[in-house]
Amino acid sequence: MAGLTVSPLIRGQFSAIARVRWQLFVNSLRTIRGRMEVVARGFMFLGFGMGAIVGSVGLGATAWYFISSGRVDWLPVLLWPVFLFWQFFPVMASAFTENVDSSNLLRFPLTFPSYFLIRIAYGSLDPSTAMGSLWLLGLAIGIAWASPALFLTAAPVLLLFAIFNILLARMFFTWVERWLARRKSREILGVFFLFVVISFQFIGPLVRHFGNRSQPAVSHFVVQAMPIERLLPPGVAAQAIAHSLRGEYAFALGSFALLCAYALAVLWLLNLRLRAQYRGENLSEAMARTVGPVAKQQIRLGWNIPGVPGPVSAVLEKEIHYLSRSGPTLFTLVMPVVVLLIFRFSPGKTDSAGGLLGHASDLAFPIGAAYTLLILTNLVYNSLGADAAGIQFYFVSPVRFREILMGKNLTHTLVLAVEMVLVWAGASLMYRPPPGDILLATFTGVFFALVVNLTAGNLLSVYTPKKVDLAALGRQRASQVTALVSLGIQAAVLGLCALAILVARAYHHIWLAAIIFVALAAIAIVIYFLVLNRIDAIVLQRREAMITELCRA
Amino acid sequence: MSTSATIAAPAISTEHLTRRFGDLVAVQDVNLRVAPGQFFGFLGPNGAGKSTTIKMLTGLLAPTSGRMQILGIDLTQDSVEVKRQIGVVPEGMALFGRLTGSEYLNFVGRMYGLDRSTAAKRTAELLDFMQLVDQPKALVTDYSHGMQKKLALAAAVIHGPKILFLDEPFEGVDAIASNTLKSMLQNMIARGATIFLTSHVLEIVERLCSHVAIIHRGQLVAQGSLEELRAGVEAQAAAALTAAGAPHEIGASAPAPGEKLTLEQIFLRIVGGTRRADQELSWLG
Repeated sequence: MAGLTVSPLIRGQFSAIARVRWQLFVNSLRTIRGRMEVVARGFMFLGFGMGAIVGSVGLGATAWYFISSGRVDWLPVLLWPVFLFWQFFPVMASAFTENVDSSNLLRFPLTFPSYFLIRIAYGSLDPSTAMGSLWLLGLAIGIAWASPALFLTAAPVLLLFAIFNILLARMFFTWVERWLARRKSREILGVFFLFVVISFQFIGPLVRHFGNRSQPAVSHFVVQAMPIERLLPPGVAAQAIAHSLRGEYAFALGSFALLCAYALAVLWLLNLRLRAQYRGENLSEAMARTVGPVAKQQIRLGWNIPGVPGPVSAVLEKEIHYLSRSGPTLFTLVMPVVVLLIFRFSPGKTDSAGGLLGHASDLAFPIGAAYTLLILTNLVYNSLGADAAGIQFYFVSPVRFREILMGKNLTHTLVLAVEMVLVWAGASLMYRPPPGDILLATFTGVFFALVVNLTAGNLLSVYTPKKVDLAALGRQRASQVTALVSLGIQAAVLGLCALAILVARAYHHIWLAAIIFVALAAIAIVIYFLVLNRIDAIVLQRREAMITELCRA
Repeated sequence: MSTSATIAAPAISTEHLTRRFGDLVAVQDVNLRVAPGQFFGFLGPNGAGKSTTIKMLTGLLAPTSGRMQILGIDLTQDSVEVKRQIGVVPEGMALFGRLTGSEYLNFVGRMYGLDRSTAAKRTAELLDFMQLVDQPKALVTDYSHGMQKKLALAAAVIHGPKILFLDEPFEGVDAIASNTLKSMLQNMIARGATIFLTSHVLEIVERLCSHVAIIHRGQLVAQGSLEELRAGVEAQAAAALTAAGAPHEIGASAPAPGEKLTLEQIFLRIVGGTRRADQELSWLG
């Protein structure tokens, strides 16, 4: 890493990169979409900021407690989560975004040291670095509060630990960049991330479930893992602080030296990888697939659904292919059953055996069904969003949008039907099978709500379409207008349903609600077909806006 | 354009076709006539109105005014019937990224009304012809640009269209794929189809197309067979040579004595795109 003196050329290059990033940001504000994006990022920033502050205070307070109560050996408990978040969050977050190919910079006359610095500097401007640094700062303050003298040794250790984390995160990225460059890898990672997020929901119930029992296997594992943990960076950093608190300065220095060695080893590996890239190896380019001799491909016949016109069943088949390949969408479709599970294992007010719905287990099915419909609205209200540039095909093909939207609506109805069966099975297993009148009222109520949502969804899909990527996490959101209108429609539907149930309860016959829902559904069906019959004329008026929005890069 | 072709019902005809985007007139009073069986090249500099015209002809964009007829059918009156007769490779290729190549072609075939077995049979044939059988499980989104172009072209012809509209079909396509596409298009012409293509690669247009139209700043500035266009430009050049101070206007685009004008030279003469390089960018090594 020799020659790190900053020449005017390097300074110019650094400021040019900073300037171009700023310019890109300013230019993004020219469109409403760009401004909305900034607002959304502002909210995200607030969320991360809150996480950073709360985490920082929490870590600081816990560190203060550990030091003042003589539990300095517990410090690794604080450093390990920081380390894991710092290293794994950026990789998980990469599932949300396309990676920027930093090798683009290599066409400019950059020296290796300046290239190295740019990669470190700009690659480190991410939430995990900011949050990790703030958390360590909080930890340092907590330690200083408990023992001011210890701050002098804890501060350099924590600073070195932060540098190590920055370098390791960068090094980790440069080594998995090629893997992450593949769409499939990112998608797998995305689904894994969702499972991690959802598994957090079960921590509380599981801890409550197992917390009171002794776990000899876990205790044994912890005892076995302790010596290894002490040799790993978070453990080493904690040891350095603990030794200096006990006045064992030689050991503290040894631990600090070991942490330095870790940082240097990571620096060397990073240097190795970046130097390879500097010499021309493209780290973010996925390797080409090797193709062996291919036998003549057997083409499967398209689906034949009795009574359904060919184009409508073709659209249905295409939609099912799309859904089956969308990890995030499949994941959201599992959520109703997961929610029932969470309700089942969350403690109720007085009776923990039945969970949150312990005293109203008959409501499990209606709640699950309503939630299913709610998560389906994201698909229904922007049904053309995932087609992206494919929308042009619909406009040049000899098929009316009436049929295209019918195919999509049929898909959504099928998905809802399957989901309802799953929710019914889940509710029956976790609680008890819903009584006949509730079952009937729920089915008819959901049917009415579905028809209303399909009608509104068809209109909004045409009036406010938004390009979405079903495969990438966080890119399934419909437009803001759609979200707002959808909210209003859900409120109206919910209001009508509540009214129907109130009337039925007043007469002590829940099945009365089913009759009201059937009547409402009949009206909704008439409106649905009226809209469907007008949809081609509306689409023709809206085609330029639709193509512009859905074909944008 | 030959007299017999103009008398027969045109495959494509437009009358005073105009499209405005606010104050900008992208296409103005375009009167096109393409006879059945012609390989028609539609040329123009960047932003001249080529894509806007092709979008209007294929139903992707509404004209502000004017009429369009495809095979004698008014596009605005019976767009579904017109769409049955045409195949289109639009600018964005109109692909569905989350399908495999075979699923996409099968889907397109069925949307054009082919029965299941015909759609599957033609899908297999087209994938084989376009050399896209290597990765049967790969999603379209993972195809290379050239593979996507080939797939888009396969989708445009799966129903056997009478007219094929191609917007920059050779852009980003390698030499092997380009050769495959060219031979397929020439076979279609031999079987009586009409092809309307836009391209910036004038050598390809010159080799493939029998007739050409040039649009410049939204207006049609030339239309006819290559020979007609050549004769027109040569006549203008001869007239210009006799005028005082005219030779420099012909400049580098002038052919050597006895040589025919290339399409590029014709194009540059018509749109006036020559620029004296020695006057500018003197700092370039």
